[in-house]
Amino acid sequence: MENNSSNQPLLAPPAPVSKADRLFTIDMIRGFALLGILMMNIPGFGIDRSQFASILQGSPLNADFKMSAFILIYPEGTMRGLFSMLFGAGMVLFTLNKTEKPGGVTVAEYYYRRLLWLVLFGVFNAYVLLWEGDILYFYGLAGMLLYPFRKAAPKWLIAIGFLCFFINVYKNQLWWNETREKRHDYLEAKAAEKRKEKLNEKQQAAISAWTEMENNRKPDSARIKENVSKMRSGYGTIFTYFIPRNADGETWWMYHGIWDFAGMMFVGMGLFYLGFFSNKLATSTYLMILIVGYGVGLTAGYINFYEGQVKDIASLSAYVDAWRWPHWHLYDLRRLFVSTGHAALLILVYRSGLVNWLMKALANVGQMAFSNYLMQSIICTWYFYGYGFGNYNHLRFYQLYYVVLAVWVFQLIFSSIWLKYFQFGPFEWLWRSLTYWKKQPMLKVAS
Amino acid sequence: MNPPPNPSSSGELSTPPTHSNSPINALDVLRGKALIGGLLVSIWVFGGFSTNWQKHLFLFPHGGNYKLFAAVSLFLQGKMQAMIALVFGAGLLLFAWRQNAKPSTPAMPDLYMRRLLWLMAFGLLNGLLFLWPYDLLFHLGVVGILLFPFMRLQPKGLLVAAIVCLIIFCGKQYWNYADDKKTYTKYQAVMVIAKKIEKDSLAQRAKDSTRIVQAGKPFVAKDYRLIDSTNKNFKKDTLTKKQAGEKDAWEGLVKSMKYDEKQDADKKKAMRKSGFGDLYNYILPGLQEREARYTYTIGVWELGMMILLGMALLKLGFFEGKCTKSTYWILAIAGIGIGLLLGYYRLYLQNVSLVNYEKYITHYWIPYNQFIPIERMIMALGYAAAVVLAVRSSLFSKLLSAAADTGRMALTNYLVQSIFLTLFFTGIGMTNYGKLQQWQLYLVVLEVAVVQVVYSVIWLRHYQHGPAEWLWRSAIHWKWQPWHKNRKAGDENTIANPDPSTSIY
Repeated sequence: MENNSSNQPLLAPPAPVSKADRLFTIDMIRGFALLGILMMNIPGFGIDRSQFASILQGSPLNADFKMSAFILIYPEGTMRGLFSMLFGAGMVLFTLNKTEKPGGVTVAEYYYRRLLWLVLFGVFNAYVLLWEGDILYFYGLAGMLLYPFRKAAPKWLIAIGFLCFFINVYKNQLWWNETREKRHDYLEAKAAEKRKEKLNEKQQAAISAWTEMENNRKPDSARIKENVSKMRSGYGTIFTYFIPRNADGETWWMYHGIWDFAGMMFVGMGLFYLGFFSNKLATSTYLMILIVGYGVGLTAGYINFYEGQVKDIASLSAYVDAWRWPHWHLYDLRRLFVSTGHAALLILVYRSGLVNWLMKALANVGQMAFSNYLMQSIICTWYFYGYGFGNYNHLRFYQLYYVVLAVWVFQLIFSSIWLKYFQFGPFEWLWRSLTYWKKQPMLKVAS
Repeated sequence: MNPPPNPSSSGELSTPPTHSNSPINALDVLRGKALIGGLLVSIWVFGGFSTNWQKHLFLFPHGGNYKLFAAVSLFLQGKMQAMIALVFGAGLLLFAWRQNAKPSTPAMPDLYMRRLLWLMAFGLLNGLLFLWPYDLLFHLGVVGILLFPFMRLQPKGLLVAAIVCLIIFCGKQYWNYADDKKTYTKYQAVMVIAKKIEKDSLAQRAKDSTRIVQAGKPFVAKDYRLIDSTNKNFKKDTLTKKQAGEKDAWEGLVKSMKYDEKQDADKKKAMRKSGFGDLYNYILPGLQEREARYTYTIGVWELGMMILLGMALLKLGFFEGKCTKSTYWILAIAGIGIGLLLGYYRLYLQNVSLVNYEKYITHYWIPYNQFIPIERMIMALGYAAAVVLAVRSSLFSKLLSAAADTGRMALTNYLVQSIFLTLFFTGIGMTNYGKLQQWQLYLVVLEVAVVQVVYSVIWLRHYQHGPAEWLWRSAIHWKWQPWHKNRKAGDENTIANPDPSTSIY
């Protein structure tokens, strides 16, 4: 199946790299992204979302503000981005490394079975483990779009990725135009009111629409109180509380947010073909990517944060009046640059051989990323939700990162120990067994 | 993919069916029938015979208008969509078999996925450009991709999967009703409190006045304030925000089940606006709601069960007439019969629930639409059996062959329906939205049907595929496909197939 395609991009590297080595850097980057993603998820586990607004409206000298600035400028979105890119790369590895057995189950069937199980794992993560921010569900579904593109040339894959980002930007702009229109109608109605004209139904509606929009952004103490008390109650309560929330999240993110995942996956496939993740480029190239990636990405992040997010939160009206295009358009671009910067940095550190033990530990985390991802849900829900230790909304924002650190240390150690005895992480083993519908060997065979 | 060595485990995916001697393909006939029959239901939305207005009809179940509506609802509503999905499922499998039978580049899975991705694109076009908010192509594409790994299952496995989908679909109907019941229970609890508040404040007032009178003091302003409920400062407990919300939730639900005149008027006004942009903006939220939420909550199960059933039936040779004649007769009579009974019961319950939902919710443990999934599945199956019987008997061969032609150009015809009816009804074109009576709408369908059948028959005399089908095939293979009939068995790369049922939709 793979051999008869003439326009298949070259998989063969210019310099021969052993298979084990190639997988190592990918696992390493995946481990890094897996640990990193918790930095963005921890507020979802631990605090009410209204806290973000009050932090960003507060003093920039506050530890919480500083932490927010760091998170939103540097890692936010990039770990998900890296994860998605590696998912795309993994897709290529999965389908092209296998040969079709005549008459057997096709690679495509295994691929789609695997993704259907992933979708179910996502549903499990959201509805049973009660992690509202689950991404497995979306990865499973977005991954289904990739298959027919798997042999496209890298430049086309990257172009399709950019098309996805463009669709994102376009949709955001539509939404922004709508917001600005609301604001415009509101201002006109207000002006008419000032002139002591009698307002018609439409003008009254315009005023209430905008006022409602501003009010929705104010912290609603009744909602916060209810949310916190729910999150501190038993499993049954949170379970029912999350059903509509998960359903809404999965419905709308799938429909409107798929470009976020699909875009990065396509770019990831392209970059994988170019040898980027598999440690095949020259050191100077990686260095270049690091400098440009971080340089452009962090600048964009800085502008997006201070000019966009902070000012938007400070006053929606002023922000809407000032900008025809929101700074949010920088989001995917920023993400892409910083993510590739991360990967380049990791590979450079790996090549330097300075902290080999750490890189090995990261690769272990990455090798069982799926288990570790679900384990983050298990650990954090138990730490924060009512049926566990009930620490929901007890910690300050910056204090959440002590928890993150603890989880990191735990996962780094746990993964290394686990992989001494077993071939796969526990959930990887389950996933494989389900995909091939046959119990897979688990124990490591002594070599 | 090469032929499997072990037929028991995977033979199902690569045995092309042997076709019956009849030149008419039952799948094409079914597709054609569903396409036209479905329009009798879709026309409600196209023409402005709104569900809102239908509620109004339910309250007068003896008028001719109601009877006409009930007939269409009984025989067609939901059943035609189910049939489209049934044929679609069979078509997917047939497509896979064909591609496997002649190993091609790219391989079958690639073509399968491209086919469905392009179908989704056609669906988006149908929704966003032709402004048909109830487009089905998009959903079929999505569910078709999800079900790819199921194709390999044995007929029994496929049937079990279909039944599982059916049960989940039924469960979801019940779940929604259980939510309504919960809303009602909460409302009742709040009403008890509200009554108590009322009673308490009356009692308090009485107590206050007695106290004042007994003290023998003259009333002062403050005292009046205490006992005068019209006074702003009169102290009275009120429902908390949450309780008020619970009260509103139920009352809103009851209100939403009543005919809303303003809603219809607004809709007419919006649909008659002449700008494409206005109409697009008006339709978009509903379209997205359907594409996103319907797919998530219901669509996967509703379409999934029929697609899986279609695959199972194809493997059993059902569409080629391989089952015994008595099987078809039993399926046709039982399927349509039970379906009608369930449908009749559904209409009855819907009437009861619309007259007084409070009474309904306290008397019935199931919602009126509880058995819709069974009704749709079983009746579509019955129709399919009847059509296969008809094809076998070669009694109405002229009619059937015309229906088959319409079905072979199903994608084209489906899109043309959207274009034509959007132009006919909305303000972009002739602005007939909400102006026609129900029976007049059915006449419009009749005209469309006649036109479509005629041009399908003529077109397919000269060309191999309908225009949209040709475009679709060209997109799948990323190469212009042959167009004329006489150029078929050409070079290897053209996937020309003499079999009439290649246009699988």
